[in-house]
Amino acid sequence: MNGLAEKVKYWNPYLGGALLGLLLFLSFFVTSHGLGASGGVHRIAVAIEDLVIPEHVDKTPYIARMAGGDRDPLAHWLVWEVAGIMLGGFVSGLLRGRVKVQTYRGPQITPRTRWAFAFIGGALMGYGARLARGCTSGQALSGGAVMSVGSWAFMFAVFAGGYGLAWFVRRLWQPEA
Amino acid sequence: MNAPSLPETLGAVVILLASAALALYGQPDLDQKWEFLAAKLEPRLAERSVYIDPAELLHLMNDDYIHLVIYDVRVESDWNEFHLVDSGHIAMEDLATERERLHALPENAVVVVVSNDEILATRAWKRLMAVAKPNAYILEGGLNLWLNIYGVPEEETDRHGKAGMGKPDGTLRHSFKLALGDRHAAAQPDEHLVPHREYTARVKLLKKLARAGGCD
Amino acid sequence: MAPFDLVALFGTTGSYLVYIAIGFAFGFILESSGFGDSRLLAAQFYFRELRVLKVMFSAIVVAMILIFWSTALGLLDYDEIWVKPTYLWPGIAGGLIMGVGFILGGYCPGTSLVSVATLKLDGAFFLLGIIVGVILFGETAGLINTFWNSGYLGIFTLPELLHLETGVVVLLVTCLALAMFAGFEWLRRKIYGKAQ
Repeated sequence: MNGLAEKVKYWNPYLGGALLGLLLFLSFFVTSHGLGASGGVHRIAVAIEDLVIPEHVDKTPYIARMAGGDRDPLAHWLVWEVAGIMLGGFVSGLLRGRVKVQTYRGPQITPRTRWAFAFIGGALMGYGARLARGCTSGQALSGGAVMSVGSWAFMFAVFAGGYGLAWFVRRLWQPEA
Repeated sequence: MNAPSLPETLGAVVILLASAALALYGQPDLDQKWEFLAAKLEPRLAERSVYIDPAELLHLMNDDYIHLVIYDVRVESDWNEFHLVDSGHIAMEDLATERERLHALPENAVVVVVSNDEILATRAWKRLMAVAKPNAYILEGGLNLWLNIYGVPEEETDRHGKAGMGKPDGTLRHSFKLALGDRHAAAQPDEHLVPHREYTARVKLLKKLARAGGCD
Repeated sequence: MAPFDLVALFGTTGSYLVYIAIGFAFGFILESSGFGDSRLLAAQFYFRELRVLKVMFSAIVVAMILIFWSTALGLLDYDEIWVKPTYLWPGIAGGLIMGVGFILGGYCPGTSLVSVATLKLDGAFFLLGIIVGVILFGETAGLINTFWNSGYLGIFTLPELLHLETGVVVLLVTCLALAMFAGFEWLRRKIYGKAQ
């Protein structure tokens, strides 16, 4: 793992956090809601589904309310925010020379193993985010800032889940002991 | 990265002070909240756009499509003497507790605040707006006017025309032989039997701002 | 008083631009803070890196202070901001699953977007996984409908839970965050020594 060398170039996390907090506040102030991400990805997924198998979308209640019939799942602020996130991430990376095709992984595993686990982790994330009605951006950050009990419970559950499993999967991330 | 750096320590101190100050300063109470909202909402009172005629209230009471909520904010003795059918009695101090109920109201909900004249009801309306901004209106002329129009002779000694039209002082200016609450005929006039009365309809059904957000 | 009706102010296209701008700032800050790197993110769970904790809680505390100072001064209307209703059980269950997903996959949805934006392949696979995961949820939502709606407490806030004033809770959260920063730093030094 060599985040050490690159770490020098990243912002101080307290600074990044404070700026993020300012952004979060501005988001509530101007738009009445906080930040979000998973919902936007979800809508894009549903939009793809709607292109390929529209009748199925119409018949499944959970997604029908998003994309059934005439409804356009992409006509929602989350989708635009997701587009913005990717743009912002890209520009930031570009300015610092971090836009490079590579696979970040722990030193003990191969890229292929990393890809497999990334996919599995993503699937769990996707499922969990819908179950919890939000992800770390939407539930933890935004819900946390306005003091929703459910959001705080969610946040602690995320940390519990991660820390709980960490030792068992340490080979994915840790250098040789 | 052992001890926090100077900027970090400074930052920690700043947020500690800011949150301590916030704890001391407190959040606005209902009357303060009204002050903040007054600029936007006071005109509605001045232009009388939220005062509805008794005939309009009667119409709402008979409209199945509307989810009607009537708040009666008078003293309990007045309430016991006479109140409208399906109205709910609530003290001014308790309006804040209605918050959750108001937030949960459906799109077709209409809230009407009544008192003897308009004084208490207007004050209560301001509080309700500070609490939850519901689609709320005030009964014009209060129950004094209502009873002038819909009062039934047998049950009162003072009625029709002059009585209730005295100087609005917040008292119930109709007297009843028996305190029947909502069992008087005037508590639920039959729309088809009472004489037709012209009025300017003021109630609008609000479409809620798309109050959804986050990853739903 | 804020918040505003964006569509009324800027029109639909204008409102979308606002969201793109917000998203842009979000992505920019995340990438600048190193959140496009799964190694840094996962290292949180080994106490080797504390970015996730520091960024998240700094953000929450700063936002909280700004939000509730604004409501106190009448600049912002608390009733109009979106507070997610609490569904306790699916929230906790989803959180646990996401925690597992986090340590296995190394990202969360927002950070994976940033990772993909900088062409990281692991981020791409993660994002594909998310799409599959959300579709899977959509397909099976009917089966767990009761559970998904369980533990509904409505809009339930910490001040209501703790029976404390809003400002006091903000102060407590601030103290909690600072304590966690100090505590986790101490743990990190204990485990890895001063070399870090």
